[in-house]
Amino acid sequence: MGENLRGGAQLQNDTLRKSLRTLKVKLVLLGSSGVGKSSLALRFSKDEFRRTSPTVGCAYLTRVVHLRNVTLRLEIWDTAGQEKYHSVTPLYYRGAQAALLVYDISKRETFIRAQVWLKELEKQYIPGSTVIWLVGNKGDLATHRQVSVEEGQSLANDRGLFFTEASALSGDQINELLLAIAHRVYECIGVQQEGLSEWKETPLVDLRNRDKSSRLASCC
Amino acid sequence: MSQRTERRGIHVDQSDLLCKKGCGYYGNAAWQGLCSKCWREEYQRVRQKQIQDDWALAEKLQREEEAAYASSHGAQTQSHPQSTAPQSHPGHASLGPFSKFEEKKTNEKTRKVTTVKKFFSPSSRTAPKKETQEGKTSSPSISRHASFDTDQVSKDFVDFLKNLQKPGREIHKQCRAFIVAMSSKKDLSADELSECVQDFYQNMADRLLSHYKGWFRRTVVVISSSDSVEQVMDQVEKYIMTRLYKSVFCPETTDDEKKDLATQTRIRALHWVTIQMLCVSMDEEIPEVSENVVKAITDVIEMDSKRVPRDKLGCITRCSKHIFSAIRITKNEPASADDFLPALIYIVLKANPPRLQSNIQYITRFCNPSRLMTGEDGYYFTNLCCAAAFIEKLDAQSLNLSPEEFERYMSGQASPRLNSSEADWPQTGTAPGVTATNTVLAQLNHNLELLSGLSSRQETLMEAAQSLQADLLSWPAGVQQEVNNILEKYPLEILPRTVSAIDANNVDTDNLPPPLTPQVFAG
Ligand SMILES: Nc1nc2c(ncn2[C@@H]2O[C@H](COP(=O)(O)OP(=O)(O)O)[C@@H](O)[C@H]2O)c(=O)[nH]1
Ligand SMILES: [Mg+2]
Repeated sequence: MGENLRGGAQLQNDTLRKSLRTLKVKLVLLGSSGVGKSSLALRFSKDEFRRTSPTVGCAYLTRVVHLRNVTLRLEIWDTAGQEKYHSVTPLYYRGAQAALLVYDISKRETFIRAQVWLKELEKQYIPGSTVIWLVGNKGDLATHRQVSVEEGQSLANDRGLFFTEASALSGDQINELLLAIAHRVYECIGVQQEGLSEWKETPLVDLRNRDKSSRLASCC
Repeated sequence: MSQRTERRGIHVDQSDLLCKKGCGYYGNAAWQGLCSKCWREEYQRVRQKQIQDDWALAEKLQREEEAAYASSHGAQTQSHPQSTAPQSHPGHASLGPFSKFEEKKTNEKTRKVTTVKKFFSPSSRTAPKKETQEGKTSSPSISRHASFDTDQVSKDFVDFLKNLQKPGREIHKQCRAFIVAMSSKKDLSADELSECVQDFYQNMADRLLSHYKGWFRRTVVVISSSDSVEQVMDQVEKYIMTRLYKSVFCPETTDDEKKDLATQTRIRALHWVTIQMLCVSMDEEIPEVSENVVKAITDVIEMDSKRVPRDKLGCITRCSKHIFSAIRITKNEPASADDFLPALIYIVLKANPPRLQSNIQYITRFCNPSRLMTGEDGYYFTNLCCAAAFIEKLDAQSLNLSPEEFERYMSGQASPRLNSSEADWPQTGTAPGVTATNTVLAQLNHNLELLSGLSSRQETLMEAAQSLQADLLSWPAGVQQEVNNILEKYPLEILPRTVSAIDANNVDTDNLPPPLTPQVFAG
């Protein structure tokens, strides 16, 4: 799937030192069926896919992101997007630090749907406890665009959300999005410390993942 | 339901899961097959009797004690071999067997059955009471049984804490104090109980965290994961919840039990829901998939038998992984959330797990929160909660049926099979349409086909056997016939010349010496 992250080994010592403090972040993907939630989840965890068992599917994935003075372990929760499950989805975003509201820029109804999700989310959540990110996926389908960038941006502005257009297919804006989420989550919630539970893991695991992470750390 | 599970090789009958008193609620092995309410009543009754018995025994012993005070105790020790204490404390004679029992229990950790038997067999009792026969074999043995498991957990906990040295001792002290404190809080509501436990977890985790942080500052050593806070917290949870399980699982103060019954009934009423209606991407025709489905069902049923919230979570995770395997084998690609949730709903409908609501509540209330909200186990648990919630709300729309159809299926007036051959979809009344709409009936049809195939093969076999038998019967006659034919063709001719020549030889033999006989040499 498109371009890959290639890491520089020169930063590995920094990474080792950083890895002592790791915070767990729960990130939930919401949106209609077919907008590309699962594809995004796979993109986010690409090359960092830590399979506990080879049989496990791609509904729950993890990705380690290193920031300047902290390491975040993103736990990506994919959700069933079929309309009939909407009534039970609030159970998924309990205790989430980040929620990605995904729509397909080439399908207007998914954008409308995203606003329904948002209303649900706002009913349950105190602003500031969860970073909500509006994501217009399938940016590569610009020729079939039904939702303009401005529309997305203005919805986000109105409701105090963050906004990004990305493409899970081409990989465009994926890493930028991931890093931006990590930063916001750490800024908004991580500073309060209590919001994120600390996670100890052996640096051995981090060594395996250091390549991308150092690259990520260096690009911010 | 029961036939279906039987077919899958799980030998769980719904009636086995219900309270033995027949009150309609779920029973539990730990409660001797009774529900929590009946068990409590039964237990109270039995315990009352036990106390009276012990008291009577104590009085009797004391009387005997006094009578035999000056003389020897020979006759008495025979009937009560364990009472060594009476000499010094005649008033506490009844405590003798109990303290002895404790000692024994620890000595024979592995031989619980023998110990329990020994203690409760009539021979070790001075005064076996007729009216307690029944009670004695039920309730007290349960509590002994349970306390054995609990003891094993306690022992493991102590072993684990030993590695932590001083903080380990502190943790142990805290946990014990907490359990004692909880035992005096029986009247709290479930939420309050949950709060107590969660507060305790939080405090403990905070203390551990600050302890480890201080330790990091002092050492540059790479921490091994076994020292991590989560690991310790898992052990703390295991120890505490094993002890508290009975008093806090499905407590009387809640209507968990009612909800269990409602869910159970609901799932039963939904027996007609097919894998196609739920759009599940698992093809049970593939043996490997069907195997995983069976395992998933077994795992989710097994959840009820675990005491520690994390062990229950483990069952859910195992169940989920089997579902993932089943989907992956069917679709030949990793399962996504869109595939997983419907499949889990299907598994829950098929399994009708005992006390589903109680278990979900128990895990929610008493599991370490970091395990629930986050992590892989947390993800699967959330999906199970979603499945349970979905089943509760499930309606015509969620199965892509018309409200009328849904009503008819729910009321049992029609089954998906009958409906499809009715006027509604006359064009699908033929066999292929039917097989597409209903797997269970398809399976049935398939089995019937197999059966008729088998019976026709058996008929052929029978025919062949009969013709073989006929052949065998006619064979000797045929052989006889042939022999006769040959005899007719080539009649036996006796040639006198040759006969005389043979006779002449025979005459010659008369002149031969007698045969040799064995000889015995004296030696
Ligand atoms: N063109 C394009 N197609 C995409 C993109 N992301 C996902 N898809 C396709 O959209 C379909 C649905 O994707 P999926 O991840 O299953 O969506 P989900 O139902 O939200 O999980 C699949 O066929 C994907 O290949 C994208 O960024 N661009
Ligand atoms: Mg998906």
